[in-house]
Amino acid sequence: MVRHMRYILILPGLITYIFFLIVPLGIMTVMSFFKPVWPGYKVEFTVSNYISYLTSPQFKTMLINTLYTSIGTAFICLVIGFPFAYCYTFKVKSQRAKNYITMFLLAPFLIDWTIRSVAWLSILGEGGVLNSLLLSSGLISKPLKILFTPAALFIIWVQTNLLFMIFPINLALGRLDPEMIDAARVLKAPPHRVIYDIIFKASLPGVICGFIFVFVNTISDYVTPALWAGGMQTLGLSVSTYASQFLWPQASAAGIILLVVCIIVLYILLKIVDIKKLVYE
Amino acid sequence: MKKSDIIAKIYMLIIFIVIYLPTIFLVILSFNDSPKILFPIKQLSMRWYTGQRELWQMNPSYIPIIHDWQFWNAVTNSIRVSGITAVLTCIIVTVTALTMRYRLVGRDILFYLFLLGFITPGALVGLGTVLMFSMLGVSITEWNMIAINTVYASSFGFILMMARFDPELMLYEQTAAALRVDPLRVYLHITLPLIKWEVLSAGIMGFLLSWGELIRNLWVARGTGVVSTFIYTQLTVYPLTTKWFAAGTIMTVVSIVGLLIMAELLSRGAK
Amino acid sequence: MGKIIQVRDLVKWYGKRVLALNKVSFEVDEGDFFVIIGPSGCGKSTLMKILAGVLDYDSGEVYIAGKNMKGVPPHKRDLSLMFESYALFPHMSVFDNIAFGLRMMGKDKEYIKRKVSEALALVGMSGFENRSPLELSGGQRQRVALARALVVEPKVLLLDEPISHVDYQLQRKLMEDFKVIHKKTGNTFVLTTHVQDHALTLADHMIVMNTGVIEQYGTPEEVYCKPKTVFAARFVGDINLIPGEVASKDGDMYIVKTEIGEFKSASSGEGHIKPGTRLAYGIRPQYVMVNKSIKNANYVKGKFVRNYYFGKYVECIFNVDGKAELKASVPPEEAINLKLEKEYTLCWDSGNTVLLEKPSVIEGLNIEEVIYGK
Repeated sequence: MVRHMRYILILPGLITYIFFLIVPLGIMTVMSFFKPVWPGYKVEFTVSNYISYLTSPQFKTMLINTLYTSIGTAFICLVIGFPFAYCYTFKVKSQRAKNYITMFLLAPFLIDWTIRSVAWLSILGEGGVLNSLLLSSGLISKPLKILFTPAALFIIWVQTNLLFMIFPINLALGRLDPEMIDAARVLKAPPHRVIYDIIFKASLPGVICGFIFVFVNTISDYVTPALWAGGMQTLGLSVSTYASQFLWPQASAAGIILLVVCIIVLYILLKIVDIKKLVYE
Repeated sequence: MKKSDIIAKIYMLIIFIVIYLPTIFLVILSFNDSPKILFPIKQLSMRWYTGQRELWQMNPSYIPIIHDWQFWNAVTNSIRVSGITAVLTCIIVTVTALTMRYRLVGRDILFYLFLLGFITPGALVGLGTVLMFSMLGVSITEWNMIAINTVYASSFGFILMMARFDPELMLYEQTAAALRVDPLRVYLHITLPLIKWEVLSAGIMGFLLSWGELIRNLWVARGTGVVSTFIYTQLTVYPLTTKWFAAGTIMTVVSIVGLLIMAELLSRGAK
Repeated sequence: MGKIIQVRDLVKWYGKRVLALNKVSFEVDEGDFFVIIGPSGCGKSTLMKILAGVLDYDSGEVYIAGKNMKGVPPHKRDLSLMFESYALFPHMSVFDNIAFGLRMMGKDKEYIKRKVSEALALVGMSGFENRSPLELSGGQRQRVALARALVVEPKVLLLDEPISHVDYQLQRKLMEDFKVIHKKTGNTFVLTTHVQDHALTLADHMIVMNTGVIEQYGTPEEVYCKPKTVFAARFVGDINLIPGEVASKDGDMYIVKTEIGEFKSASSGEGHIKPGTRLAYGIRPQYVMVNKSIKNANYVKGKFVRNYYFGKYVECIFNVDGKAELKASVPPEEAINLKLEKEYTLCWDSGNTVLLEKPSVIEGLNIEEVIYGK
């Protein structure tokens, strides 16, 4: 009886997911093969949506933009976030301090994302703080143009996503047996090898998890690159553009391509480390 | 204090400051009298918070935040949506994560399903939902937003919660079962109390993720929408003024206070 | 032989309340097989970790090979430590775990492969090279941890409870192997355990520890036959203890008055105990004989109330006058003839007794309380 209970318990989650995730995705997939007839579609099988999208001149640029910004952001988050997670796990002793730090890190999330991005305007803009400081101190003669370049994108994205990287790494680090580090030191491992061979490698599932989190988050966001990186187009933008013109089949096709790209990257990442190990067993 | 400890703390502080940089500026600039959101501040004032009605122009960008009833509408919506999302996320994540510990047929498939839930970019989920509901002939409501956010937050929460489960948990449950306690009681008296912090954090995650989510919500927002969509659409239509910084400041204060209280409670409750 | 390890007045606090090591001082000769025995929580693991350099201490001095080890990190010390908790690297295979130390020392692949195979064969785990530590049982993990510590062949090998979760046969084999390796390499072994048999079998010298202090130092014979405190006597070998008072000294013999009679105890020749001193009169069960008569004997009558079968001998409990219980180790062929609830005469040679003045090195304990188990 208990066995069946277990399947019943899974049901609510399963149903929600099927209804609000699988079905919409399924519809989209089907739709992507229909013929677009403005303002709707005709139920007629065609691959033209995909072909025209994939061979369009912007596609290659968009793909490259998407990949390098998202993967780049993930890497930067890793480089900045891993030491932070390390310090948090090993150097902060009291649980109370840890709680407070966590809460403080979470607070900016509740401030709306749009406003936060706008705040960066005042810092990075040509009349903004950074430029005023640099100009008045004489380090540069002309204001730096940071806004509306990819640099701004990275700054904004790293700031937003850092937490997504820190959290899973924290999780993985927390599961490490601290005596393991002592054991490595006794076995003559110098400090840098302890950090790399033991700590980093053992926390790899968490690192990959964080990488995936950041990558997915950034690939999802087509608004930020468009707004702040000088109109940079990423793959998600085409979905929105087509949809705003009611070209559903083409929007669907663009969406599926985006999903495929995501899955490919994910597959590669999961090959490095099996996340299932982090989760169960 | 060892040298490495000091370096560690300085590093953490620097990262902190970087994360808070926009917030700090936002707060400072919110008191700028000028509607331009740039330095230098020539005159300080509270006009963006509580201006006088006579100073209104027809441009909603100039309405002081306290008086902007649309904004507060959006806030209420946000609280409602995020709150319900939090609760649903909690339930789904907890129940499913607990059950997934056991060997089930198709457990791996379920796992990949959850994985799909958060790697699917927001645009897809949004588009798909819009298409689906228009086909069904059902209009899109707030519940769509809640559902989509729940799916997204649950995926996150599920992975993180399963990773945080104490491997001893099953042992405790089995011990209780061996003492002839029926499964429901084991669940209520043993399992749930031992994982209450994980459950709580799943709820918090649901709340925070849905609050900050823009893309997904954009596709299914109707009416005033939630805070994130409201501000976004306002800014695409009307010019940018300092008023939004005032909004941001209020949200900052509220969230910091709220989260600090939580931190204090957690510090007392947990070990 | 020089002293390879010297510890002076070592003090270690955990937080503000737990005093793990209370001015511990001892020395280890080079090439010795040194055993630290003590109950759980007495500070053995703490001591080992401090020697290895992974734990910092509050005050005192630690010298290894004559050099002060203050501030010297573990990877610069020529020693190896096997952790009580094993601390295997979960993300590496068994082979990689054991090979780790050798890799850090820069040994080449052939050498590593050979050494790891030897180590695995030694602990009886050949064939486990590619397994993950997460798949192993507790005893298997312990053996991998042991192999890992052994394979680097350090000058000082520290082993913290290395064979506690291993079955009896394997324990015996490993103990013999320890002895063989120790003799062959001539390195110093320091081993902790709470099992007295291990200590007595393996040690050249040993110390008995009790909550942060050293109760006694000596060779196994010294500690076993001439314990200096009640704690040491109890912990190393089983013993009957009766509280009593020295009545007088008759030539070589002390006369001790106890609740259950007056008994003689041969003086050990060291020191002189004043009459009137309260102490514990001790006799180990294997010296207590039933229904026999020997010279220099002490006699007492007791009722046979319980017994415990140990295979090699039977432990028989005798109740004396309702005031005390004495244990005697009786060979099985004799024990068969004993009937429960009957009274028998017990006797022992005064030369086999010990007189213990101090309950423990820890000050302020009452000897009777310690005897009766506080």
